[in-house]
Order: sequence, then C-alpha cells, then structure tokens
Amino acid sequence: MSNGENGSKSVLVVGGGIAGMQASLDLANMGFKVYLVEKSPSIGGRMAQLDKTFPTNDCAMCILAPKMIESNSHANIELLTYSEVEKVSGGIGKFKVKVKKKASFIDWSKCTGCNECAKVCPVELNSEFNENMGKRKAIYIPFPQAIPNKYTIDKRGYPPCRFACPAGVNAQGYVALISQGKFKEALEVVRRTMPFAGVLGRVCTHPCELDCERGKFDESISIRALKRFVADYEMKAGREKLKPIKKTKKEKVAVVGSGPAGLACAYDLIKEGYAVTVFEALAEAGGLLRYGIPEYRLPKDVVDNDISYIQELGVEIKTNSPVKDFGEVFNQGYSAIFVGTGAQASQKMGIPGEESKGVIHALDFLRMVNSGVEMKLGSGVAVIGGGNAAIDAARASLRLGAKEVTVVYRRSQAEMPAIKTEIEEAEQEGIKFHFLAAPVKILSKNGQLSALECIKMELGEPDASGRRRPVPVKGSEFTMDVDNSIIAIGQSVDKAMLPKDIGYTGWGTLEVDPITLQTNLDGVFAGGDVVSGPADVVVAVAAGKEAAISIDRYLRGVSLTEERKITPKKVENVSKEGVQPAARSAMPMLKTGERKGSFAEVEQGFDEKTAIEEAKRCLNCGVCSDCRECEKVCEAKAIDYEMEDKYLELSVGAIIVASGLGLYDISSLTEYGYGKIKNVITAIEFERLTAASGPTMGTLKRPSDGKIPENIAFIQCVGSRDFRHKSYCSSVCCMHSTKEAMLAYEHHPGTKSTIFYMDMRAVGKRFQEYITRAKKEYNVTYIRGRPGRIEVNPENDNPVIWYEETTSGEVKSFEAELVVLAQAMVPQITQDLAKILGIELDENGFVKIPEKMVQPLDTTKPGIFACGYVHSPRDIPDSVTQASGAAGRAAEAISGGN
Amino acid sequence: MNLDDIIQETNTYYCLECGKCTSICPIARYDPNFSPRMLIENALLGFEDELVFNKELFSCLTCYTCQQECPSDVDFPVFVRKARSLAQHNGQCGICAHSGQLQSLARLMTNPSIKQKRLEWLSNEYSVSEKSDVILWVGCAPYFEPIFEDIEFRALDITEASLRVLNLLGIQPKLLPDEKCCGHDALWTGDIETFKKLAEHNAAQIKEAGVKKIVFSCPEGYRTFKLDYPNYVDLDCEVQHISEFLAEKIGQNGVKFKEINKKVTYQDPCRLGRHLGVYDAPRKVLDAIPGLELVEMKHSGWESICCGTSAWMNCDSYSNMLRTERLSEAVETGAELLITTCPKCQTHFRCAMVDKGEEHRSTPRIEVMDLVNLVANAMGESK
Repeated sequence: MSNGENGSKSVLVVGGGIAGMQASLDLANMGFKVYLVEKSPSIGGRMAQLDKTFPTNDCAMCILAPKMIESNSHANIELLTYSEVEKVSGGIGKFKVKVKKKASFIDWSKCTGCNECAKVCPVELNSEFNENMGKRKAIYIPFPQAIPNKYTIDKRGYPPCRFACPAGVNAQGYVALISQGKFKEALEVVRRTMPFAGVLGRVCTHPCELDCERGKFDESISIRALKRFVADYEMKAGREKLKPIKKTKKEKVAVVGSGPAGLACAYDLIKEGYAVTVFEALAEAGGLLRYGIPEYRLPKDVVDNDISYIQELGVEIKTNSPVKDFGEVFNQGYSAIFVGTGAQASQKMGIPGEESKGVIHALDFLRMVNSGVEMKLGSGVAVIGGGNAAIDAARASLRLGAKEVTVVYRRSQAEMPAIKTEIEEAEQEGIKFHFLAAPVKILSKNGQLSALECIKMELGEPDASGRRRPVPVKGSEFTMDVDNSIIAIGQSVDKAMLPKDIGYTGWGTLEVDPITLQTNLDGVFAGGDVVSGPADVVVAVAAGKEAAISIDRYLRGVSLTEERKITPKKVENVSKEGVQPAARSAMPMLKTGERKGSFAEVEQGFDEKTAIEEAKRCLNCGVCSDCRECEKVCEAKAIDYEMEDKYLELSVGAIIVASGLGLYDISSLTEYGYGKIKNVITAIEFERLTAASGPTMGTLKRPSDGKIPENIAFIQCVGSRDFRHKSYCSSVCCMHSTKEAMLAYEHHPGTKSTIFYMDMRAVGKRFQEYITRAKKEYNVTYIRGRPGRIEVNPENDNPVIWYEETTSGEVKSFEAELVVLAQAMVPQITQDLAKILGIELDENGFVKIPEKMVQPLDTTKPGIFACGYVHSPRDIPDSVTQASGAAGRAAEAISGGN
Repeated sequence: MNLDDIIQETNTYYCLECGKCTSICPIARYDPNFSPRMLIENALLGFEDELVFNKELFSCLTCYTCQQECPSDVDFPVFVRKARSLAQHNGQCGICAHSGQLQSLARLMTNPSIKQKRLEWLSNEYSVSEKSDVILWVGCAPYFEPIFEDIEFRALDITEASLRVLNLLGIQPKLLPDEKCCGHDALWTGDIETFKKLAEHNAAQIKEAGVKKIVFSCPEGYRTFKLDYPNYVDLDCEVQHISEFLAEKIGQNGVKFKEINKKVTYQDPCRLGRHLGVYDAPRKVLDAIPGLELVEMKHSGWESICCGTSAWMNCDSYSNMLRTERLSEAVETGAELLITTCPKCQTHFRCAMVDKGEEHRSTPRIEVMDLVNLVANAMGESK
C-alpha cells in the first residue's frame, strides 16, 4: 500500500534524541514516512552531551553521530528541527498535527555552516550544550557535530532599551559592537535609525537608560555616552565623503524647518529614494539644536557633523528660506510637506515692567548667545523658570561673566522639569536657586531693570500635570536687586510663521492625526515641538520618523493607517545569573573652575578603553543585538532578519513521544551547596569537562582554580529517592558515576575516586563486572552512606563532605578536591505538550502507561506511543530497545491490522 | 502505644538506612555512641529492649536537624519522643539535669491542692488588665529564678521586658494567676501523663479567661501550645511568639527605636526555627533597630546549631562541646552581643561561660541577651 494522501502511513516522532532517532530510522526502514520534530536546532539529544557511555566506555558521539547523519539523510525522514508541536487533532490512523517551525532567521537551504557569522557576532552567552560552562554566540550551532549543520540566530525580542526609545534606536546593537571595539560599525547601527549620534549622544534624555535591565542589577549602562563616543570617534578619525543616495522615486518632498524633527524626517525619506529639500528660515540649519542649546552642552561642530552627514546623502537644505505659503511649495513640484518648525515663541509673564530694558526672553537670549552675538550682562542675573531653557540660560549667563545667577522657580526642586544632572551641574557651578517664589512686578529705574518684586509660594493640590500647584502666600512679597532677568517660563508655537489655513488644537499647537501626523491640509504632515509643544529632541526625531512613514505611504497611494503600528515584542525577565557587579563608568567632566567665561564642553566623553569596558557591562537582553554584522560576512546570503515562524500541517497515522530527559534543579538541596560551593558540580557538567568538545577541550579542570583534581568524590541520589524531591530512582546514576570515576582515572592516572551510595544498582548486562573493574583497576572506592552536608575548607576551596559510614556507624568528614553530584533526572515533557498530544502523565510527570505489562509502550491515547526517558527512568540501551518497540507498535497501528 | 504504632506513625518504615540523619546530627558529631540511624534500625528490627533501655535514647536534642533533611520523611524527633514514653513505662527516664528538680516541679504542679504564688514578682511598674483579650504567657520563668541564680540569669527579666514592650505598645495584657507549666519538658521526656494533666489545667484556665490571643516569650511554650495541645485539648485562641508579634507591629505607626550601635548575632532556637519555621520575624525586629548590625554565624537559620540540651535532659560533656562550638561561632562573627529568643538557650550559653575552673577558661565568651530585652532597651529611652 502506498502512503495515502491522508498521511495515514506516516508517523510523527516527537524528540530527536537517541530514542527518537532509533524509532524514526526503524519506521523509515520499514518504508513509512517519518516526521521527526525536535525543538532545539539540532538532533542528538542528551546523549550528545555525554563523553562516554557505560558499560563499554565507548565514545558517545561515535555511536550517536552515524544515527544522526542517517536520520538527516534518510529519504523517508523529514527532519523538523527548531520546531514544536502546536496542536494535535484526530485519532489513531488519522492524526492532524500542526507544527511550528520557529524562525531561525537563517535560510537553511543556503547556510553552509562555515561559521563566519559566529566569528563576527558580538553577543556571547552561556552555551546550554556545555551546561553554561562554555560560551556560544547569539548566532550559533549548539555543538560542532550538530545536525543539521546550520546556524540559528537566538533572537528573543526587543531589548528594553530599544523598546523604551521613542525613535527605536537599537542601543543593544551599537553597545554590543562597541564592546568588540567596532566603533565605526556601531555608528552605522545608530544611523540605521536616525542621523543624530553626536547630538543625541549628548542631549538625549535617555529613556533607554531608565529601563535598562542592568539598572535592576547594579547601575544602568551609560548608553547615551556610548552613542556619543562613536560619534566622537568618527569626528576624530574623519569620515570619507558619502555618495548621495540614488533617487528611486519621482516625487519630491519639502521639509519646513531644519530642527531634529524635520531632519529626521528628511533622513528617512532620502533613504527611501525621495528627493528632499529642507527649508530653513534662519541662516544655518539645526533649529533648536543650533540656536537653543548652548555650546558647553552641544558644540557646533557636533551639530555640523550630524547635519553634513544628512546633506551628503543628498538632502538639500535651503537656509534663509522661510515658508509661509504651502500652495507655493506644491507649485514648485513638491508632492508632500513636513512641517517641523518648532515652538519658538517665548511665553510672556504678563506682569508690569516686563518690557523694561534688561529683561530678555530665554529663547531670544540663547539664540543670540548661540549666534555669537556679543552679550553684556550685569553682575546680578535672575532667571525665571524651571525647565531646561532656564538652566541653559542660567549656565550661559555665568559663562558670559555674570557674577551672581539665581534661578527663581515657583515650585520646589522636586517639581523642576529640567534634567536632573543639568540642575546638579548648575549648582556645582555656583548658580543659586530660589524655590517657591515668583515675580509679580519688574521694577525699573529710567526704563532699566533694577529689581524684581517677588512673592513667596507654597504648594497646594496637584494640578493637571500631576505637579503640586503653587499658591502665593499673602503678604510675603520681597524684592531682589538684579541687573538682568531672563524669562524662561515656556514656549509656544509662533502662529505668524505658519499659513493661516492650518488647524490648531486648543493648546495652540498644530492639530494632527495622532497616528499619521497628517494636518488638516492634504499632503501636509507635521511633528516635533510644533505639534507636541516643547519636548525632548528624541521625541521630535521619533515624530519626524513617523511622518516619513506617512509621507512614503501617502506618495505611494497606500493607506496611511493599515497595518501600521506593529508593536515589537519586548524581552521580559532577563536573567542576571552569574553577572559580576561592575560600576557604571563615570563621565569625565570639565573642572568647575574652568567653566566660567568659557563655553568649552563640560562633558568630556569616554576614551576607547572606558567605552569598551562600559559596553561590556551590557546584559544583551535581546540576545541577538540586531547589529547585522553577520549579514555582511555571510557569503551565502543566508541571513534573513525578517524570517517569521512557519506552521506546517501534517497528517500522520501514529505518534511516538520520545522527548527524553531533563535535569532536576538541585539548588534547593541546600545541604550540598550546589551553585554556592564552586567545586561542587553535577554529573552532566562533569561529562562536558571530560568531553573533547567541551569547554576545557577534555581536560578535567575544577571550577575554582582550574586544577586537575586527583581526589574526587561522587554523591549518589541527589534529588532522587528523596521524599522531598523525586521519590523515584533515576536509574542510571550508579552506573554513570562509576563511569565518570573511571574517566577521571583515564584522563589522569592515579586519580582517586570515592562514591558515596545507598545501594549500588548494577542491574544490567555486565554492569556488576563494570563496578568490580572500577574498584580493581580504576582506584574507585565505594562508601555506603548518604552525606548530610558539604562544607568548604577555606584554605584550598576543597569541599568537605560529612557522612556516616553506615557499615561502621562512624560519623566522618571527607575532603575532596571536586565533588560530583548525581543529579536527579526528570521526564522532559510539559503538561502543555501532554495536553496538546491528548495523553496523560503520571504523578512524577512521566508518560502514563495504563497497561504496563501487556502494552508497555502504549500511552493513554490509542495511536500514541512512548519510549526513552520520558516513558520511565532508563539507560541508553534500554531506551533504544524501547524505541524499536515503539516503532513496531506504531507500524502495527498504521498498517491497520492486528 | 506499642513500638509498631510508633514506627507507623512516624514513617519510620520508610527509612533507607542511608545515615544522612546521623551524619548531620549535632550530638553524633561528638558522641560516638549516639546514632539516630541505629536507634531506628533497632526499632525496625524489633529490638525493643535495645531501643528502650538504651541511655542514648535520651541524648537526642529533638532539634529537627535530621528530620528536615530526611529523604524518607521519617519524623525522628517524634519517634524519639514516643519511644521515650515507652521507656518511661519501663521505668527508664534518662539522666535528668539539675538532679531532676525541674521535672519534679512540673509533676508537683499537677497536684491541684498546691497553690502557687506565681505573680509575686509583678510590680506596679507594669500595667496588666483583667479585661485584656491578650495573655502574656509567663511560663516557668518565676521558678527558674532561684535555680539559676548562680549563673546570673534571671528569666523573669525576659518576662518583665515583654511586659514593658507590650505596655509601650499600648497593650495591657492579662497574666494568669494559676497558669502552670506548659508541659513541654514532660512531653519530650516521655511523661505523657504529667503533660496531659498540665495541658488540661491550662486549657481550662484559658477557656475561662476567654482571650483571643496568647503571646509567648518562650519558643517551647509556643511550640507546645501550637503543635501539641491541639492533639490533647481544645484551645480556641491564636498563639504567637513575641518576635512575630513585634515584627507585625514594627511596620505600624508609633513604634520608634533609639539607635543602638552594636554588632549582634542571632541564635535560632530549635523550637522557633526548625520546629515552627520562624526565622524571619526575629531578624525583621533586629533590622528595625537603627544602628544595629546583624551578622550571621557560620550556621544560621535552618542550619543553626542547638544550644546543646533540651527538656533538661542529658546535660553532659558532649552538650558542653556543642555549646562551646556554638559560642565560638558567635564570637567569630565579631559580634558584641548574642541575641536569642529562648530563655533556655540563654540559660545554657550562660552556664557554659560560667567559670568552673581551669579547664573551662578557654570557653569563648560573649554577652547573651534575649531579643525582648534588646527591644525594651531600644524602645525605653526613645520616649
């Protein structure tokens, strides 16, 4: 009979370990089609981790590899690695199975397994295959002999830093590359999202750092300073002039205003192939970046460098070109307009005397300072307000020679909206703060400001902004003698600069669609401060980017809203295990004494060494950092970052569950100190330490000092045969500990091993002889007694075992150089998977077998069979035997006869 | 009750004879003749005489170290307790410390015709109230006073400190004038009859008092009321150790401590720690005192080492070795003060440090104090 279309002659095998492979090969050799589903990227299972197998001490991989290769090449086996069973319906003879093939982000039909990608991958993490003792990259194969020999990218989602960034800048990506000294490449990563590495590396409010997972451990990564570092690195090293991007689109876009929103929008559009012209009213491009933020925070050459990058890509910037009539712009051949003109009108206080000489509004003041206009200030300056403009104005005044600068703010320090560190710097520079006070009148002599009359305030109930509302205290008026006063109480949109027919909100900002940023005028979009009111640079950049998406869609005639917002998956619960505390690198600062009378930059930036060290603190929350270095080196062009999970629908007649074994978490057995005492390891860790493919290349080195231990103790039944943990016997530990003791001797002749046991379970062919041999030829001693405690000899980190030698009744201690725990093993099947399959598990989580004597491989569901460790505790030969049995039962089930 | 019942009730049948109990038993580390495993093995083999007439049966501290790690869930301390009652039936009562006078006192108290003057010590410095719904359990403290005069320990100081702290918290507790020994020691030495009589008397007194809660400054009384009384008598009220009571109050308004700039370490009493799982409450109280630094000993919490004697039984040279080891651990922390929450721990540590001649001169020395006394000091002067 041929395989019917309904697939009734096919079998699904779940689990690609030795049992699953054996069952698959048996069935395939009988002529049946087999789908072998394995959740990890490679088949091989637990056995692949073992160095040798008992009782012959054969190399595990040497036995396993031929089966792996055969499973991969057999015409009747379809290998589905990195896949999971999602849904099973139907019954014996006609199961329908939905399998999820997880995105490996690599086209396996192209991947040659050359390893070039892993070489350049900057993200290193603990290797699961080596039981966290060795490292692997985010792009990896689990072990050298993996089948299929194809790479997988371990991508867990958006790291919290990138998720927090309004503009979506890939912080983990550039931080990872900086950690490798790849500064140029790191800058590329920043510029993949936005052009302002130098600017935002200085003035960003860094929401990324607030959400940084490292901050939950000790201190967040200095992400902003690292971004600045790569920008500075380019400025120092110089950049080759860029080739303009080829215009692939026929439409032209006009951007009005060359601040961060406008330039970010222009940047994204030029990259899409549009011709973009930026119209700037003032003499130079940059908007508030140039005219608002003083040089000691943001030097002009930094602004210039970021802007010239945008220009070199082909964005045309027309300065001294105010735009008042959008119709005219459209007439000039532009198909869409982005308005990013900012909020530049200073708010007036509306108090008597505001027009006196010596009173200036902050934005006007900063614009003059930043334009190089010579300013003369008197010795006493009062700055009114508590935002960034106020602090900038105050610190700039000090640099212009003012003797005493006082910031007058109507609320208290806690409510100040300015950046905390800026306030601190201002204080250090000697700026005074007068909190809970507000001017009510400006006093003048001959039209020239002479003093401020202020009133004291107290805080009342919180207002709409959530901050407590200041209330004047009656009769508390006082005067302050000043020569100049800078008003920095807020900015608003200057309606005079914009066409009359554009729509506004009640707040006086432009009214736009919250998603598409489209104004009431067709083809006109807006973003940045002109929409949001005064806000952060990075928020303006984000708005510019969002508008660019809209404009592209608008010009292509695609819906502006459909499938637009795809919220990326944020990585949660990042492990901090094994992380060593390390303080955040401090930013070198210009000495306070050198700041007066000088606009030299205060923050000095990291040097290379500091930058690398700081970057290495990153926890790589997303695992793959999306730096895309692998893509550059993959000659096979196999990398596909956009790959998505795929779903397969299979029809099979029978299912074999062979999902193998897991390891019981023994950290709760505190008496043995696993995880706390360095030289106490588990048996599987021991296997990796003796395996040639392991982290030590097969040299057994103990964790504390790398010394080769000559006196090793093995403790049996750790978590097994224990009412508090797993009451069953794990079945293989007596033998594997004996094997490991022999291996230790073979690696280092003379090694003495001591095995603490309750009773030796050598129930297998030649097993008892194996133990006898261990005693006679391998210097292995067996002591009956279950140790109660492991302590440490602080002098040499040797574990000290306390036990009762039950044959003599004596309580003794035993000092070993290394202790190996025979960790309990558990069935590797979740309740979820059992539910999907429709089978039951027993009280210990093994697959429930209702008729143990007559149908020992049949689960509770007809047509589904089980074999290997998930069936019950057993060794490799028994698992293989069972696998053939299960294959036989499955064949019987799909052959439709008895 | 016969041996088979005891084996059945304490899961002793499941013993794998693995020796884990003996390997971690604090007594077995010093006393080569003491082996929990061997006691069980004799029972399982039916050698009742070897169990009952074995003096080592009374060496067990019932400290629960073995039970909490037994892979077979054998309740060895309860096995010992029940086996001791078998032994009592066979005329065996082990070697009692202090010539058995403390056991005699408990037995005397079962005589209803003997009237106690157990509140003579109470001065008008403290407020108590007949109407209160909280009882402060006084326990054996008044009886300890004459017995332990020589080691300069007055257990009533703990009782008085408890009263002071409760008063400062605005609570005027009730003290029972005819309270009797809780029976803890009788129970653990196997004298069930005495225990039952005491329990019945106390339960009746408490019922009459009609209170909602009993607060203990002694973990033994607490354990007995919480875990053992329910098996013998009806007790319809909440019981709490004073450390738990204080830990609850600390978070509330009005509790203020003055600064105590001291480094202290803490002894977990077996009854409070391993028997009842109360590890955090006393530490929470210590943490709340400003200036105080708590440093843990090498063995702390569930791993704590017993003070060396329980139920006034078998106080011998091994007990003293254990005590000395524990005191060394306390001294090694660099603490100035060893805090405990059990009057008996304090008795035993103080006794070990009393100069008994040349051979004891090397015993490590550290000041011992009850948590309640420390709290009373910290609260006292803040007023």
